Amino acid sequence: MIPYSPFVCVITDEAFCPVTLAEKALKGGASMIQLRHKTASGSQLFTWAVEISKRCRPYEALCIINDRVDIALASGVDGVHLGQDDLPATAARKLLGNTHIIGVSASNVNEALQAEKDGADYIGFGHIYLTTSKQKEHAPLGPENLQKVAAMVSLPIIAIGGINTENAPLLISCGASGVAVISAVSRANEPTKATYELLCAIKKELQ
Amino acid sequence: MEHHKLKEIHLPRIYLISKGEENADKSSLLINQLSLLPPLIPCIMQIREKHLDARKLLTLALTARKIKLPKGSLLLCNERADVALTAMLDGVHLPENACSPDKLRTFASKLIFGCSIHSTKSLHFAEQSGADYLLFGPVFDTPSKRKYGAPQGLKKLGKLCRTTSLPVFALGGITQKNAAQCMNEGAYGIAGLSIFQDPTRLNDNLEQFHHILYP
Repeated sequence: MIPYSPFVCVITDEAFCPVTLAEKALKGGASMIQLRHKTASGSQLFTWAVEISKRCRPYEALCIINDRVDIALASGVDGVHLGQDDLPATAARKLLGNTHIIGVSASNVNEALQAEKDGADYIGFGHIYLTTSKQKEHAPLGPENLQKVAAMVSLPIIAIGGINTENAPLLISCGASGVAVISAVSRANEPTKATYELLCAIKKELQ
Repeated sequence: MEHHKLKEIHLPRIYLISKGEENADKSSLLINQLSLLPPLIPCIMQIREKHLDARKLLTLALTARKIKLPKGSLLLCNERADVALTAMLDGVHLPENACSPDKLRTFASKLIFGCSIHSTKSLHFAEQSGADYLLFGPVFDTPSKRKYGAPQGLKKLGKLCRTTSLPVFALGGITQKNAAQCMNEGAYGIAGLSIFQDPTRLNDNLEQFHHILYP
């Protein structure tokens, strides 16, 4: 199941070894790791997925793989995260059954509602703030749009895009169950510490 | 391997690979090629459109699947077993660095899996991991592969075919003139991209290959 909120999801950064990064993030309290690597080969992704899954288990954290439903099924990770250009969630659900988690990226209300209808388990909503980690086609959505979507869908929402310890608490109060980060952890001097501080920031918000 | 006994595959000997320039929105060479296949010549078509995201690849695969193909034909896509299952394709072709067939079979037991191989090492790996067929090349000189160095040649093809019991498709610069040589070296069939790309010549080319490959 989706981790207890509020939680931190760390997405791997193509510039660093995803297994090492996952290890550091897990130590810092991340409860979801998303393996995302658009250029790696299938066999490489498979190996990483198995290794990250293994490291997630003692922490009861989830390992999710971006886009590749085939690798998710072959490697036995917990689920997939699907963008709007990936397999539709309905198709992924047929392949994965109910034993795997499916997350869907949404950047507006319609996509979020569609994801809910298609049987997604959570929505990745963003980008909330400006980010350099991914090329973007639209302006940052801001916390106000997050709040709007959170009020309209019943699925857990993971906020993504330009999130740090300063702005993360607000997003939890706007209705996000968790926050997803790439560079805030991967590019930090100490990724473990950065993850922990992010987790502390959002937990404080809840109290 | 057990799945071979269960499945009893009869692979066609002619193997077409899509051009790699498909765009889900535009009129499609792939769809044209599939529609033009002569009804009595079974073929394998691999949808190899690596630039397409999974959603577009699925759309293309679903469109392709709707076309009635010659009896015994097989429709494959490159690498993505998830797309193949969703679009009800017959199988998947795996590049050398893809996830291996045995791992993909754990959830896709009915699909056919073929493997590209370029060396003895990758041959052994493909055999051990349960490949149904092998694709080997470039056997002859072909413009698209020049950047990777000299072609592998007929001798290497022969050596490979004698080493394995799996069906081997020869790829790279195959024409009606050299197809028989590939068969003499033990190839099971031939594969090509550019030779099948001219819709006006497709029927004749396939018929000529058919005569050579099914003497």
